[in-house]
Amino acid sequence: MTNDMASDAPLIEVKNLAVRFHTPTRIVEAVRGLSFTLGREKLAIVGESGSGKSMTGRAILDLVPWPGEVSAQRLAYRGRDLQAMKPQERRGLRGKHISMVMQDPKFSLNPVMTVGKQIAEAYRVHTRVSAAEARERALAMLEAVQIREPARVFDLYPHEVSGGMGQRVMIAMMLIGEPDVLIADEPTSALDVTVQAQILDILERLVTDRGMGLIFISHDLPLVAAFCDRVIVMYAGRVMETLDAKDLRHGKHPYTQGLLGCLPDLDHPRQRLAVLDRDPAWAGG
Amino acid sequence: MPTLPAISVTDLNVSFGAAHVLRDVSFSVANGESFGLVGESGSGKSTVLRVLSGLNPVWSGDIAFGETVHAKKPAKSFFRQVQMVFQDPFASLHPRMTIDGILAEPLAIHGIDRPDERIAGALRDVGLDEGFRFRYPHQLSGGQRQRVAIARALALEPSVLLLDEPTSALDVSIQAEVLNLLQDIKQQRNLTMVIVSHNLAVVGHMCNRVAVMNGGKIVEETDIASLRETGGREIYTRELLAASRRVSLSATLGAA
Repeated sequence: MTNDMASDAPLIEVKNLAVRFHTPTRIVEAVRGLSFTLGREKLAIVGESGSGKSMTGRAILDLVPWPGEVSAQRLAYRGRDLQAMKPQERRGLRGKHISMVMQDPKFSLNPVMTVGKQIAEAYRVHTRVSAAEARERALAMLEAVQIREPARVFDLYPHEVSGGMGQRVMIAMMLIGEPDVLIADEPTSALDVTVQAQILDILERLVTDRGMGLIFISHDLPLVAAFCDRVIVMYAGRVMETLDAKDLRHGKHPYTQGLLGCLPDLDHPRQRLAVLDRDPAWAGG
Repeated sequence: MPTLPAISVTDLNVSFGAAHVLRDVSFSVANGESFGLVGESGSGKSTVLRVLSGLNPVWSGDIAFGETVHAKKPAKSFFRQVQMVFQDPFASLHPRMTIDGILAEPLAIHGIDRPDERIAGALRDVGLDEGFRFRYPHQLSGGQRQRVAIARALALEPSVLLLDEPTSALDVSIQAEVLNLLQDIKQQRNLTMVIVSHNLAVVGHMCNRVAVMNGGKIVEETDIASLRETGGREIYTRELLAASRRVSLSATLGAA
């Protein structure tokens, strides 16, 4: 009975999430009153740096750094209350059920371990398998993220792979545990446009094939409009609006319009770019 | 007599060991023009800038800035004329120096008078008030740091400004502010600019002419208007344009 209920429950439920940092002088509120549910879909969280979008992803995984404090009315994964779990249980979820791809592969990979070993290690943490079997899985995973010579790349160190390949290695590592939810924190911002397109294709395919839920954190509005199903627009820790990705251009909130207006556009040249006019009222209340 | 171009590059070749990273690169930039170099990472576009700025002493070919022939090891006076802004504002400012110290250093090196006034002026030009002078880089946001990097480059009043991915480390909203700032400065000072980027939209906004690089060669040189209309001659240019348009407003949202 409880199992049936759990399978009907959305992948992630967040209600009234707040992330606070207690500093000696004041309390910094990184996220204030964020609520959403995630099904098997591609949900984007967009905003500028400092809008709290990355902290939202970290709060779900319990990775908010000290002295941050997370509180929420409800924070659940498939109906299971995350806040009631012991730290060991939450650690069990990370990587196996919920994974996160970070922005920059240069800083997220272990520089003194070959990329293949790192992927295999991620698998063996959650599954009791032999080293040989983990290696097989890692090679298969490298192939799944469209690396042409998996056996060669397996033995390379992170400094020997390009940015785009490093990001594919990260994705392979995060997906080898076959999670239900993938949180991608600016997975393509450090990459070239042509490589960006390849990485998005890989993500798209993996998400669709495996029926995963994806939280895509980005500051690139046109990109999420093309790639995601739903968009949450954040500013100063609060949600400005939530809308379908295809309606993003018709977003009502002036902040959404501002973010769209300040992009240079190859096909519609302008003398000057619009600059965001930040209304203090958006942050208040 | 026709005026000499501000920058002319003829048959530039660069090799690092066995790797031949630039092959017969030639282009010229007129006085006061903005010229864009686009291409994927590894296409050699940043190497072109490093050669032009004098940071890469190993090259062959002919380069001239106006009448001055570019030397392998340029004289000090060269750096008063040509300055560069780097991609990552988090890495290009000395973390243990105040903004004042960072801006004072090039002035001291070149023995320029009235450093105090010039530093204040340089900060004002990039839209920062004097309160920033005695702060450290870590106390500034990414956009403010990039402004400081631009102020440092402009403090020597160069005639050529080289920009290596000036906004790719910044948020879109901050990118707009920095691009507007660069446009204003360019108009005020009649600067010649070379902008390297992988973002065709940014280059399209800033430049009149663009060269597309792939595998160490310039595969196509065109002006932005005809690129917009024809979509480029080379397959690689078309690919790049398609990749840019996929993440560009009109293609993704307009089609929906």
